[in-house]
Amino acid sequence: MIFDLRAILLFGSNVLLLYITLIANSALSSWSIYMLLLGPMLVFPALYLRHQHYFNCTLCTGLWCDAALPSPFGLFTILFLISGALIFQFRIRFRANQNYHPIFLSHGINFFFILFVAISMSTEYLLSVGFWLHFVVITITSHLTLLIVSPWFFNFERMLFALFRMDDESEDYPNF
Amino acid sequence: MANVRLDKIKPLVALAAFLFAWWAIPTTVKSYLKVGFTEFQSPAWVATSYLDDLEGFWARRSHSKVELIEAGREVARAKSHYQFRAQRTQSLEQEILRLETILNLPSRREFRYEVARVVRRDLNFWWQHIIIRKGKDYNIPKGAAVVFAGGVVGRVIEVNAFTSRVELVTSPNFRMAANFEGDGRPVIYQGVAQSGFGNPIGSVRDVPKDTHASTLTPLKLVSTHFGGAFPAGLVIGQVSWLEPGITGIFQAGSVELDSRLLSLHEVAVLIPLYPINLPTDDL
Repeated sequence: MIFDLRAILLFGSNVLLLYITLIANSALSSWSIYMLLLGPMLVFPALYLRHQHYFNCTLCTGLWCDAALPSPFGLFTILFLISGALIFQFRIRFRANQNYHPIFLSHGINFFFILFVAISMSTEYLLSVGFWLHFVVITITSHLTLLIVSPWFFNFERMLFALFRMDDESEDYPNF
Repeated sequence: MANVRLDKIKPLVALAAFLFAWWAIPTTVKSYLKVGFTEFQSPAWVATSYLDDLEGFWARRSHSKVELIEAGREVARAKSHYQFRAQRTQSLEQEILRLETILNLPSRREFRYEVARVVRRDLNFWWQHIIIRKGKDYNIPKGAAVVFAGGVVGRVIEVNAFTSRVELVTSPNFRMAANFEGDGRPVIYQGVAQSGFGNPIGSVRDVPKDTHASTLTPLKLVSTHFGGAFPAGLVIGQVSWLEPGITGIFQAGSVELDSRLLSLHEVAVLIPLYPINLPTDDL
């Protein structure tokens, strides 16, 4: 298939999740609380789509995040594609039709993102207690929120597939 | 057989190809990509901000007439107070102008204030930015100073069609010249990474050794005309402790900033009326 509507639906869902997260962060700024909820964004594209569509969807999501967040441009695009490539490589081992594996993956990827951003954006503060305190707070807040957001987000994406009468089976498994 | 192998490593090959392409792509193309995606997102943030305004409007409509009359009275009192202050300011400005003419002093930079709503706040250890609802459509220049009722907010670092990104005074990348109130000697203010849940802080260095600060008599740090985009006298924060700096020649300390910086709703951008056109090397 040259054109897969599911890639656009998943990209739209990712945009929505980022938008909601940034609104929440803006509202929570006076309490010095910040959440990074990027993990769930690349789970379904990597588990469901053909490689070409997964790549396009993840690339667009990464560029969208890079434009929205004040990090160096390209940081999230590269992180998304590295994490996505690893999941895609081993995706035959994960069950996409239930939430258990996607939630587990989203937490793992999210922690990798937080750790990478923390280290790459503040190398000169790695020995500071305040840095690690803030890192722990961001990690705990993000992952507690993910416990609620991830199941909702994956069910929302499945609902979109059903609404647009899309195939909810994974495609393009590697030939072992 | 080769087909099977390629199928196995397809994601890794694609990733390697992308990383090489990203490394090879000129910076101009990347910056066009960034601007394109940012401009595409801006309408959603502007719409969110207008929805917030609408929410506020309906919330205020629910107030009773008695409350509105009382608020009207307070506004009238404040208005008459500020009208008096405006007259006083005008007469003082004329006096300053007269003295400047007598003393043949160079003219100061004049600004116009562009008040803008805050659309979004991105505040954490890694970045300290806000996005405001005015951009190229209001001729906001890059590098312009941003202030609020409590003093300095930051500097405009990115201007888009309808929005601008402001780097806060708390950001480690923010640095400006300053001086203590009543002391004309310049010092350097710099933001620091915000790590705790308390009030925002910054740092000051290159403070002369004869300057003393304590919690009982804190020193007020204000902007100076050496600060470029900032006019002199804007409050940055207060310093209640100074200690010898790394060099031992000067002192350094922590600056307590206004806690309202973390929950800004409205700011003013200072746009120079007569921008300085620095001479270029072009012949």
